[in-house]
Amino acid sequence: MGTVHARSLEPLPVSGPDFGALGEEAELIEVEPEAKQEILENKNVVVQHVHFDGLERTKDDIIMYEICDVFKAKNLIDVMRKSHEAREKLLRLGIFRQVEVLIDTCQGDDALPNGLDVTFEVMELRRLTGSYNTMVGNNEGSMVLGLKLPNIFGRAEKVTFQFSYGTKETSYGLSFFKPQPGHFERNVSLNLYKVTGQFPWSSLRETDRGISTEINFPILKTNHALKWEGVWRELGCLARTASFSVREESGHSLKSSVSHAMVVDSRKSSILPRQGALLKINQELAGYTGGNVSFLKEDFEVQLNRPFLWDSVFSASLWGGMLVPIGDKPSSIADRFYLGGPTSVRGFNMYSIGPQSEGDYLGGEAYWAGGLHLYTPLPFRPGHGGFGDLFRTHFFLNAGNLCNLNYGEGPKAHLRKLAECIRWSYGAGIVLRLGNIARLELNYCIPMGVQSGDRICDGIQFGAGIRFL
Amino acid sequence: MAAPMELYCWASGWGLPTVDPDCLTVLTYARFTGAPLKVHKITNPWRSPSGTLPALRTKDEGILSDTHQIITHLRKQKFNADYDLSARQGADTLAFVSLLQKKLLPVLIHTFWGDAKNYVEHTRKWYAEAIPFPLNFFLPSRMQKQQLERLQVVCGENYLDSEEELEKELYREACECLTLLSQRLGRQKFFFGDSPASLDAFVFSHLAPLLKAKLPNGKLQHHLKSLQNLCNYCTAILSLYFPWDEGDPPPVVPKAAAGDGSESEEEPYKRRNQILSVLVGLAAMVGYAFLSGIISVQRQAPSQLRPRAITLEEEEEEEEE
Amino acid sequence: MSLAAEAFVTQIAAAEPWPGNAALYQPLKEEQILLSDNAACLAVQAFLQMCSLPVQLVHRANAEYMSPSGKVPFIHVGNQVVSELGPIVQFVKAKGHSLSDGLDEVQKAEMKAYMELVNNKLLTAELYLQWCDDATVQEITHPRYGSPYPWPLNHILAYQKQWEVRRKMKAIGWGCKSFDQVLEDVDQCCQALSQRLGTQLYFFNKKPTELDALVFGHLFTILTTQLISDELSEKVKSYSNLISFCRRIEQHYFEGRAKDATFRLSLIS
Repeated sequence: MGTVHARSLEPLPVSGPDFGALGEEAELIEVEPEAKQEILENKNVVVQHVHFDGLERTKDDIIMYEICDVFKAKNLIDVMRKSHEAREKLLRLGIFRQVEVLIDTCQGDDALPNGLDVTFEVMELRRLTGSYNTMVGNNEGSMVLGLKLPNIFGRAEKVTFQFSYGTKETSYGLSFFKPQPGHFERNVSLNLYKVTGQFPWSSLRETDRGISTEINFPILKTNHALKWEGVWRELGCLARTASFSVREESGHSLKSSVSHAMVVDSRKSSILPRQGALLKINQELAGYTGGNVSFLKEDFEVQLNRPFLWDSVFSASLWGGMLVPIGDKPSSIADRFYLGGPTSVRGFNMYSIGPQSEGDYLGGEAYWAGGLHLYTPLPFRPGHGGFGDLFRTHFFLNAGNLCNLNYGEGPKAHLRKLAECIRWSYGAGIVLRLGNIARLELNYCIPMGVQSGDRICDGIQFGAGIRFL
Repeated sequence: MAAPMELYCWASGWGLPTVDPDCLTVLTYARFTGAPLKVHKITNPWRSPSGTLPALRTKDEGILSDTHQIITHLRKQKFNADYDLSARQGADTLAFVSLLQKKLLPVLIHTFWGDAKNYVEHTRKWYAEAIPFPLNFFLPSRMQKQQLERLQVVCGENYLDSEEELEKELYREACECLTLLSQRLGRQKFFFGDSPASLDAFVFSHLAPLLKAKLPNGKLQHHLKSLQNLCNYCTAILSLYFPWDEGDPPPVVPKAAAGDGSESEEEPYKRRNQILSVLVGLAAMVGYAFLSGIISVQRQAPSQLRPRAITLEEEEEEEEE
Repeated sequence: MSLAAEAFVTQIAAAEPWPGNAALYQPLKEEQILLSDNAACLAVQAFLQMCSLPVQLVHRANAEYMSPSGKVPFIHVGNQVVSELGPIVQFVKAKGHSLSDGLDEVQKAEMKAYMELVNNKLLTAELYLQWCDDATVQEITHPRYGSPYPWPLNHILAYQKQWEVRRKMKAIGWGCKSFDQVLEDVDQCCQALSQRLGTQLYFFNKKPTELDALVFGHLFTILTTQLISDELSEKVKSYSNLISFCRRIEQHYFEGRAKDATFRLSLIS
């Protein structure tokens, strides 16, 4: 009987919709040339057994959920595809270092003539993995030590610990993650952390010690996250010369908030998308579950991408947000919005738009920002199909505003306030995609709508970011 | 007294009867009052009954290790240097002792323990040579840590923020304090007339180390030396109350002194250390040759040390007065 | 007291006149402030009153964290922030107001020495009482210190502060003292102050100095603050010239201000 080695299917793309390249696969399947070769392709087959080799601490039930589809396959192609999907699902659990699939005809007494056995040869990740990095940035060097305990209880649970020891600040985080068996997208995580940040644009130092729990679940095509967070925040002045407005905010506060986030993302790539749209809505309610900080915060982000002439892409995005303090206490500098910088409203310095006091930016309670981009491949397309595809040139037009609202005035006055003194800028530059998580930009910016107090960056601006306008 | 009190303090060095200001305070006060003390000048704080120096073993109050407590105790035993002072002078004593602790002590700590050059070339050198092996490898640095912590407490939290500015400020205040003391002393022999009082013990013990130590970086020394009456005051006390410590050329480890030879304990230590270092070196070489690992060699060395140390103990504890 | 702060102040204090909007920040009076902080705040108030410099009192729950040195009180004058009595005295001096100009060198030395005595004994005793005496810690210090914060932050911050103060106490050798020994120290200090004051109006004759402000701040606070036991105030009460000294300063500089009970000394003796 012919043995089909499915391991040769390994270079398959990860995402589902691109799965259609079966023609290529077929060539890769290595069929032993035997005289009694049968054409299995159209023949009905039954998957009789699924074997697992190499399972140690992984529980069977979680595996069952991931591979149950394999039994439903009716013909060989189906078996191959289903096993392949199962393999992808297994890999996604993040508990195996390697998964290989072997499909063979059934052996043994109860073997049906058209019975198949599928064998998954897996190699589990070690109980404890560690990582070590050094980071440099913001006049500070730090050493990041990470420990991960994957699959700690055998059902794809994960405990991670990260410790960063810096020349100035020490931070750590401990998190526990548990997916629902069979529905990896539905998961619960629990985090414990201490993060210290320095914000020179506000002359502010913030130390957060917190605990949070988060539940993620998909509904139709949207992903939702519900989160409770309790965080002890300590604010302090970064320097003796910090403005008095920042000094007044110093001290301890306890924020306990419930938040909900919804994401719809139809883009293929999050950094340099060619098509698709993104909608993110985030809302946070603080104060009703304890603590001494009360506010309601709404925040949204929309991005639309359209392919345009000659491989270029037209992209439009809009951000907006509002913070309403509840009770008679004013909002805290740590909760307000900040705008400006090389990945938001370009042409302005990092978070250097809006209300300020003696050169320290205090942030605002409402903001909006919009951007129009035209991304094109590099001129003359050097390195096409390879290295050159990591780069794009872009032309952009950014605008935005950040201000404080007087909530007694009503929506019309708010809109008027947000519409006056608009900051805007335009320019062009080069974008470099770093993996699928971040991007670097080198732009020439011309800031236009500048208000006094804003800090601008006229000319060349360099920036890196995960989130960008 | 039936059984004299026993005082444990650091050994002498730098031309001083004892190198530690706190020990010096107690010792000076005892000399002023003529309190009969059995003084143990030791170089191993672990042999003090309280683990710290100075320490006073008393009959009825157990072991005292705080300078003020010791002096209070001596006072209760009728050895009161302040007996002749008026109430107003007693009040001034308290006030000036506070002033010394606030203004002069930080700079003293900083000069001897905080200034890197002084610490390495002067303070650590003395302690590392005086403290017996193997404690001398970690005790000096531990002491430095304690002293710096003390400095930080006295100076406030901002100590690490702007060290340079703080240093400048410390020295400015100390100079001011020295000038104040010099003015307060005037032409008198002691602060309150012709007989020494407890304030003199405190002032002397804070000034003498600055005056006598050969510091590589002696900013404050210059200022102190320019205040002639304070210098004379210190030398007078040294020669009057510590006759056999005075005038020694201050080598880091003083040679066996004349008199009753009470300070001769460093000599056998030194010789022993030399022997020990040779032994350790030999043992290390032999150990390496036999590839038997270093741990076993090191274990051997202290075991040779112990019997020697015990035999020496009897010789070195000399009685004073 | 932060020395670095003093150095800074001497550098920046400009010869600008005293502005009308100068403000003195201190913790919440009714529910938060502690014995030692109250003493420090009162001392600064008295000092500024003696200089006849007007300040507006501002009570903030986070005053301790707003202060550049982490200690209360602090003044906000123009765009400058100066904390604690020592630096404030220097700052005010740079502005051309001084209480100790008339003293000779020896008197200045004595004044500084006595100020250090008060900080050394009285302030430390107050800190000891409010952070190291277990009954006071449980009944007064923790509830008051944590009062502006929600659970569990009130306990966390109070314990954090307690740990910090106890560590300091240990470093200066007060960690193993008993309450009686502390009282003895206070008595010693009061005796010294009483001796020094004698029958004079102020410590240096007829004119008050910063020493008077400091002594008043501490003694008045000890006398008027309700604690678990009144042992501390009993010690002070046994020196009648110190009591009348406090009453004198209160009448002279705080008359007409704050008629509330905490400001009345007439209750005593």
